[in-house]
Amino acid sequence: MSKAVGAIFLKELNDLLRRRSFMLLCAAMAAVVALALLITSLDYHKQLSDYQQYAQALAQSGAAAPAAPPQLSPLQQLRGGIEYIEIIGPVLAIVAGYGSAAKEKYRGTLRLFFSRPIGALDLAAGKLAALGVLWLIIVLVLFLVMTATMHFIGGAAFSAAAIAKLTLSLAGAWAYLAFWSGLALGLTCFVRQPGSALLICFIIWLTVVLLLPQIGDTMDPDNQVPGGLFQSMHVDKSNEHAIMAHFSGYETTRNALEETSISKHFERASFAFLGVKQIYNQQPVGFIWSETWKDSASLLAALLASTAFAMTQCNKRNLIGRRMK
Amino acid sequence: MNRVYNVTMSTESIIRTRGLCMRYGGNYALKNVNLEIAAGEIFGLLGHNGAGKTTTVSIITTLLKPSLGNAEVCGLDTLRDSREVRRQIGYLPENVELYESLTLRENLLYFARLSGVAEPDRRIEDVLQFLDFTTCMDKKLSTFSKGMRQRAGIAQAILHRPRILFLDEPASGLDPQGVIALRQNIQSLNREMGMTIFMNTHSLSEVTKTCTNIGILRQGELLYQDSLSQTIAAFPEHASLEDIYLRIDADGR
Repeated sequence: MSKAVGAIFLKELNDLLRRRSFMLLCAAMAAVVALALLITSLDYHKQLSDYQQYAQALAQSGAAAPAAPPQLSPLQQLRGGIEYIEIIGPVLAIVAGYGSAAKEKYRGTLRLFFSRPIGALDLAAGKLAALGVLWLIIVLVLFLVMTATMHFIGGAAFSAAAIAKLTLSLAGAWAYLAFWSGLALGLTCFVRQPGSALLICFIIWLTVVLLLPQIGDTMDPDNQVPGGLFQSMHVDKSNEHAIMAHFSGYETTRNALEETSISKHFERASFAFLGVKQIYNQQPVGFIWSETWKDSASLLAALLASTAFAMTQCNKRNLIGRRMK
Repeated sequence: MNRVYNVTMSTESIIRTRGLCMRYGGNYALKNVNLEIAAGEIFGLLGHNGAGKTTTVSIITTLLKPSLGNAEVCGLDTLRDSREVRRQIGYLPENVELYESLTLRENLLYFARLSGVAEPDRRIEDVLQFLDFTTCMDKKLSTFSKGMRQRAGIAQAILHRPRILFLDEPASGLDPQGVIALRQNIQSLNREMGMTIFMNTHSLSEVTKTCTNIGILRQGELLYQDSLSQTIAAFPEHASLEDIYLRIDADGR
């Protein structure tokens, strides 16, 4: 890292952490995640004590103690928290990425900046590094909030494998949030009026985070989806597979629609690692990875694309060479 | 027909532009500007609003790419060697926009690091002492007056000891005390540090008191360039630089 990139990185990170309104929004997200976890933790705690009483009663009666039922996995309880990160997280990431470029575009500080002997990519590299570290800090805080709430309130014990799965899931959350910040930073530099960039970002957010996954869910006849066709008709999974074999074109289209959403890739990978999707619950990391690596790869590809977009757009020509109307 | 009265062709030019043109859409902001500025000059570029002064400075300081022509600073091409050119220059825009939430010291430290200044803390102390501005070191920029911002801007522009200092409308919005302090600073930088100064200005009285050489731009064309003393001698019938400026401007119409 050059001295200039280091200086930009430190200043940007300082600016982001000093922005009270932004930090309040982050605190609100952390509070919502914590609240969701608190409720599920209490529920988990109750299920756990019920199960322990049941196991104790069995032991006292001389019967063999049952193995822990799969639905008592503490990781599954983190679903609510991940959903908040999936939906609210991009809003915060957009605000952070947008603010990073818009503040300088509006204040006119960049004329002085670009009169210094810095490299063409230094500004983008410094800003992206600061945004990356910001999301790393926030994801680490969320990791601590999640594990502490489940441990101290839910009474859950996390195995090393569970910690590894949670870490992988949160690494996905980091990539997902960094993707949105990179996109917002690139768009704010690319579009002449920063306000228009914010509007475009929110239209993309609405489409990618809410609309596309919702269309995919609505079209999904799976018997596990609430409101799904097969569930409402009480068709079991094996019959569902037999019926759907005749509608492979429909399923391919539906799946393709979902796969255009980066949020869906994040959700699929996270839910797999957390065992929210039953077929992955209590499965080893290697198995889950082999089944879902395409979702993680899509997430990584999206992050690289948004980073490359920000790197190419965060330049002198876009930031001071074009006149703002 | 427009005509350039006299263009000084010095062999020691520290700034040189050839056929500089800048087009925004269908409008020319600069038309074939050929400037030559020698090392050690305090050069004042005069012109109405929209004459192309800021565009000229923006091109020479590598902030803009010209549509046609080229500019050289210290013998370096502003397009090919833009990074090296920026090491040789300091720049103060018309509105000095430093970071409001940072103190003067923090702002200067940031710019010193961007410029690759060795021992930045010591250099900041030296520069602020030179500008007699040490008392404000730990105050936030948001508390600064226009004059103080201008001085902070100069401090940031000279931190890396540039050979040329560009000032865009430096006296704009300053009170009389601020103007006097600015003039003293410019003259000290020129005399004591040997800096060549290039300033855009509307203020003819400031040019008379500060500059050694002048140029006049009108609607993107360089009408005139010469030393101030030669200019005054060449127009003996006019009592002031203001009259000379109006005459050259009228001839250029």
